[in-house]
Amino acid sequence: MTVSIRGLTKRYGATLALDDVDLDLAAGEVHALLGHNGAGKSTVIKCLGGGTSPTAGTLTVHGTEHRALDPRSSIAAGIAVIYQHLSLIDRLTVTENLFLGQESTTAGVFVRRAEQRARALELLDRVGLTVSPDTPVGELTIGQRQLVEIAKALGRDARLLVLDEPSAALSPVEARRLAGLVGQLKDDGIAILYVTHLLNEVLELADRTTVMRDGRVVWSSPMAGVTKQDLVTAVSGRASAGAAAPAPVTAGADPVLDVRDLRAPGLPGVSLQVRPGEVVGLYGLVGSGRSRLLETLFGRRRATGGTVHVDGVPVRVATPDDALRAGLALVPGDRLQQGLFGSLSSAENTVMRVMSLLARTGWRRRGAERQVFASAAGAFGLRPADPSVAVARLSGGNQQKVLIARWVNDRAGTRVLLLDDPTQGVDVGARAEIYQVVRAVAAEHGIGVLFASNDPDEVVALAHRCLVMRRGEVVDELDMGATTEQTLLDLIHRDLEHTP
Amino acid sequence: MSTTSPPAVGGARTRTSPAPAASRSPVGAAGAWLVKNPLVVLLVVMVAGVQLATGSQLAWGNLRGVLLDAAVIAIVAAPVGMLIISGYIDLSVGSTLALGGVVAGKVVQSGANPAVAVLAAVAAGAAIGVVNAVLTTVFGLSSFIVTLGMLTAVRGVAQLVTPLPLSNFGDAFGFLGIGNVAGVPVAVLVAVAVLVVAAVFLTRTPAGRHVYAIGVNREAAFLSGVDVRRIPFLLFVAAGATAGLAGAITVARLNSAPASQLGLGFELSVLTAVLLGGIALTGGEGSMFGVLVGVLFMGLLRNGLTLLGVPTFWQNVASGVALVAAVGIAAATQLARHRLQARDARRLDDATTAG
Repeated sequence: MTVSIRGLTKRYGATLALDDVDLDLAAGEVHALLGHNGAGKSTVIKCLGGGTSPTAGTLTVHGTEHRALDPRSSIAAGIAVIYQHLSLIDRLTVTENLFLGQESTTAGVFVRRAEQRARALELLDRVGLTVSPDTPVGELTIGQRQLVEIAKALGRDARLLVLDEPSAALSPVEARRLAGLVGQLKDDGIAILYVTHLLNEVLELADRTTVMRDGRVVWSSPMAGVTKQDLVTAVSGRASAGAAAPAPVTAGADPVLDVRDLRAPGLPGVSLQVRPGEVVGLYGLVGSGRSRLLETLFGRRRATGGTVHVDGVPVRVATPDDALRAGLALVPGDRLQQGLFGSLSSAENTVMRVMSLLARTGWRRRGAERQVFASAAGAFGLRPADPSVAVARLSGGNQQKVLIARWVNDRAGTRVLLLDDPTQGVDVGARAEIYQVVRAVAAEHGIGVLFASNDPDEVVALAHRCLVMRRGEVVDELDMGATTEQTLLDLIHRDLEHTP
Repeated sequence: MSTTSPPAVGGARTRTSPAPAASRSPVGAAGAWLVKNPLVVLLVVMVAGVQLATGSQLAWGNLRGVLLDAAVIAIVAAPVGMLIISGYIDLSVGSTLALGGVVAGKVVQSGANPAVAVLAAVAAGAAIGVVNAVLTTVFGLSSFIVTLGMLTAVRGVAQLVTPLPLSNFGDAFGFLGIGNVAGVPVAVLVAVAVLVVAAVFLTRTPAGRHVYAIGVNREAAFLSGVDVRRIPFLLFVAAGATAGLAGAITVARLNSAPASQLGLGFELSVLTAVLLGGIALTGGEGSMFGVLVGVLFMGLLRNGLTLLGVPTFWQNVASGVALVAAVGIAAATQLARHRLQARDARRLDDATTAG
């Protein structure tokens, strides 16, 4: 066994990202790791690559037991992780990147260029890349860069290659070439951990598959005799978190959000409607344009055409401020980078926008601010409800509640709530609470909710209606009454197969 | 010490990361406050030590001089501190001070009312502030580079305005530099006013809280509909205007306006005081109370060393070491604070994850 992981556990503050995970990776075997966003796949990768230290558990590499790895010891142990965001330096050449930090030198000072170049050619040949080793990496396509990364790993005699959703950014041709390379490396006796959420790739490439969900391994089996249906069942798993019958929508009401032919780079023209109190899911894989659509509606990206009406009133949105004035509010997908003021208190995070609305002749009314916070904290079950705690210290679920409360409170006047990946980094118990909050927002305030997700469970649990997105277009619309996560999974994977 | 610490500023102190849980005991709360403001402890210990050794630091005659020096720094440190909280910086204030000084001197010598001279200095400084503001907030250039360039350029402008040193401006103008109102130097009153206004602005107005929001997370502030350009723009103008005012005060006090010497190294004194006072260079953190403590600490340290008979060169060494030491202490207490917070967070977990 090349690498064997036992009882791996990782806590981030209040969130349990990994819970007692076992995983065996053998030489000459492709082991696929499947699971939705937040299932814990990337935390496993980080533990292997030395990006983070596990809270408990062991990683045994070639018989040597480690309690934790750092990037250096991970490389020394023969582990190479190819992250989605590649770690090459654009302005250096292919050769320089291949030997970065491991330059072969004369007298420890002078780089032996000729020798490096010859070795680079060998490595490039091994991964089937035909570019000159003197090309700056910045001039290569994403697929070519990925091959350079793999060549770099081979140059370091990697025995375990970890590929994190390697085909996500590739063209179909590049993806085929990558699949061929994976098979060849397997034959060379390298262990491969292939992280993905595409079932077809798993069926084609994997010798063994492990499915993760909520930080735990829920299914693991050799692939002989396993069908696609088995995988769908394993991934969608048990009854979804917090599923409850969504409240009925006032039928026939005029739409609170009416989008017609909205165009922007990557969005060839989207039309959709959301009625008051209705929760609509935008379902699609990464790159399908669901986040882009929300950001365009919110004025973070500029629209090039089309119309948007809120409550029947035409609105022009050039900045987030315009959108908020029109009653459109976005809870972004990247909470830490785009949503939270980490070192400021929960109360300030909540009232940052409405502070100005509450103010009188330019002065803050702190009593009114406290009231807005207290009533939102009560309504959404914020824990702790203490207004003075720095928001960075809250769990993911409670941070999300603060961000929703920023837009939905006694004073905000939000008519349409846009949520991008609403339970990203939120653990399973809290996920049900977020669903509860979103449903309450829609039902009690008559707000229209439009959320983007790539998790079919989430769409089933939350949406009244689902719009399926692919390549920036809404390609299907489903009433969620009779739809299950299996229908959605089948749909999206059928779509992928039809993609040339 | 008690005469130097206006209660209004202390009362309006900004709380960027408030002490957790009201349930903590008063002793614990006081401890937490001191952990957040370690420089206050150092300041008290230092003044007590110097006072015991020399018996003269707290004498009004001595203190008055210290406060006059500190006041000029504090007037400019308040807006510069706010700029740094919002994630920008202004290094040009030393030269802007010189420009304000020579403009005031020239206007007074032309026989105009001293009040007009002061307004002219403020206007000249504000104009420099507008240039900084446009280049950084509108065109998006790095404020470090823009204001570093302006530091050199504005010095040249000041020298062009008055190639020869001006002097002898008369008593009416001199009042601004050395006069008293109710026994307190005018400049000190101005500094107190500036600090109080800045502290109230930061804590009591939405725009003041937006200063922190922009500094903590500019992207999130933009996505929350905060105008992420206007506030830093106005702070640059305020920094320029106060630097111009500080120039008028300095010239009135010196009764001369040497364009090439005025405010040399002033920007570094301001920066040192602001950083000593706990405003993070990375933005989003700090308060006007901290600026006050930082300014006083610098002034009293230098004065204490003089009283103790330490040679000037060693005083410079001590000032530099004090800054580095203060940053080190801040880092250490930060670590202690994070440990406390982590412990609190675990307590919160146990209370919340059960549900």
